[in-house]
Amino acid sequence: MAEKSIIAENLTYRYGSVLAADHISFEVDAAEIIGFLGPNGAGKTTAVKMLTGQLRSQEGRAILLGFDVAKHTQAVRSRIGVCFEQTNLYEQMSALDNLALFAELFGVKDFDGYGLLKRVGLNGREKDKVAGYSKGMKQRLMVARSLVNRPEILFLDEPTAGLDPVSAEAIRNIILEERERGATVFLTTHDMWEADKLCNRVAFMSEGRIATLDTPSSLKQRYGKRSLLAQVAGSGGRVEQREINLDTPATPEAVGQLFKQERVITIHSEEATLEDIFIAITGRKLTE
Amino acid sequence: MNIRIIRALLKKDVALFLANRFYLLITVVGLVFYIGIYFILPAQVDEKLKLGLYAPVLPSAFAQLTAQQGAEIGRYDTEDALKKAILDGDYQIGVALPAGIMDVWAAGGRPRIAVYRASAAPPELGDAIVALVKELSYAQTGQALNFDTSAEVLGPDMLGAQVALRDRMKPLLAVFILLVEVMSLASLISVEIEQGTARALLVTPMRASHLLVAKGILGVGLALGQAVLFMALVGGFSHQPLTMLTTLIIGSAMVVGVGFFLASVARDVMAVTSWGTVTLVLLAIPGIGTIIPGLLSDWARVIPSYYLTDTVNRVANYGAGWSDVAANLAILAGFSAVAGAGGLAALRRRYR
Repeated sequence: MAEKSIIAENLTYRYGSVLAADHISFEVDAAEIIGFLGPNGAGKTTAVKMLTGQLRSQEGRAILLGFDVAKHTQAVRSRIGVCFEQTNLYEQMSALDNLALFAELFGVKDFDGYGLLKRVGLNGREKDKVAGYSKGMKQRLMVARSLVNRPEILFLDEPTAGLDPVSAEAIRNIILEERERGATVFLTTHDMWEADKLCNRVAFMSEGRIATLDTPSSLKQRYGKRSLLAQVAGSGGRVEQREINLDTPATPEAVGQLFKQERVITIHSEEATLEDIFIAITGRKLTE
Repeated sequence: MNIRIIRALLKKDVALFLANRFYLLITVVGLVFYIGIYFILPAQVDEKLKLGLYAPVLPSAFAQLTAQQGAEIGRYDTEDALKKAILDGDYQIGVALPAGIMDVWAAGGRPRIAVYRASAAPPELGDAIVALVKELSYAQTGQALNFDTSAEVLGPDMLGAQVALRDRMKPLLAVFILLVEVMSLASLISVEIEQGTARALLVTPMRASHLLVAKGILGVGLALGQAVLFMALVGGFSHQPLTMLTTLIIGSAMVVGVGFFLASVARDVMAVTSWGTVTLVLLAIPGIGTIIPGLLSDWARVIPSYYLTDTVNRVANYGAGWSDVAANLAILAGFSAVAGAGGLAALRRRYR
């Protein structure tokens, strides 16, 4: 059995009367990418804050790399990296100085700032003030900062939100490289396509609870509807659409009838997206 | 306490301070301005005796006085005109001789001589004038003559005006240099919270206490460095240098405590500026009392900066030593400790 990087047991947090995290429990294996998906206010960021020791869980506990976060906060923090949703860089300092500061705080010896900046595509701009960077460049620098200490667990809070496709793809590639290196990645995102592409497992968060947690393919099998979509020539030369559910006993006959009775122009299969499954499970949209 | 972490944070804070042109500008311009003001102000007290005089009949001895060097006598036709001249600042002291003074003396009586003193003049000047009148009356008649005096202070009392203006400004300027750092420090902390960089720091192995210690060192360094430079340039260490240095160190600690408090209550940089201005004005009030002696009464003692200003004033201008200012320093240190601990606790809560 793989070693567990993260064990969350009944993590609970209330902001006044609002229950932001409601007895969240889950486990994450080493070198696994887990995605936490949910609309704003679902409790994703609160979960990250409790796991990284920014908030003390009011009930339950979080164990990272074998350490209880509440009791060994500093030991845990020295082995994790956190990339925040909102840009929080020292804008009057250069990218290199930003990274050097954090390397010093982590006590990283022989830190190669140039190498790290090259990895995130910021080579050539190392000594420029961050204030002059574009949003995509700042986000890549935020990711680079979270990698300064070669973390064993990487927390990424909406790392590609609002980025151009090139910057977003660069960050996704880094996430995959980190998993190859052996790091566990905890990713919160709104982007279902991204979660589907990157994550080994995804958790759907709604109203402070984990509604479900499984691999994307299992979720699609369990909750998704597979179908065939066909375009056929209708009367008067009009193109009409036919949909055949693939998960019923009548499917073979329906397919046969389609080809016998209609002139099929195009046909392709369609599977449910994580967004469809999220709505099916929680009754809410991700963008609510 | 991890020295490596504090050193890294300090290096970052100094770099950010130097990178912020506004802070740098107000620091340098402020320092140059304060030093410039000091040297522009008069260095010496005017030693010439300036006396306003109302005397319907002028005794000859008084008339001779007007011709003497070092004395400037201005005569007025009415007692009210004399009083107005003193209130207007034309003279610091005035004497009104009654119309029949010579006759009263001749009859062996005791005329009443009115002495009017401007509030800016020290009380001793009134006594000196009474003594002078006695001397003049002796010179006039060859015998000591009796008279009664009535003394009236015109305007607010201003004890200590005999100290040159720029020396009276010295404590105010030094304390102002310290106090301005309340705002600089609070702004640096507030920006760190507002821009979220504090959150980024606090997911590293460092603790909130590291961050606050680094800010405290920076605050004390900035405040103390400037105050010491100012005092060194204006001769503030010529009396009791160790006492003065200790006072400035404790004052800098007070500044850091107040700065922490300010940063903990202000939501953003604008709020720091607003609250900081109010705080600055309040803390500067005791300093104004050193320029205008007698302006402040005992109520000023409830303002903690009173003990800083008063100590700097007494050490710099009157050569006060440890024993003279020990009580002040103890109160100041006590307040600094309370402000520092309270500010730390408030900020820790906010960082959490």
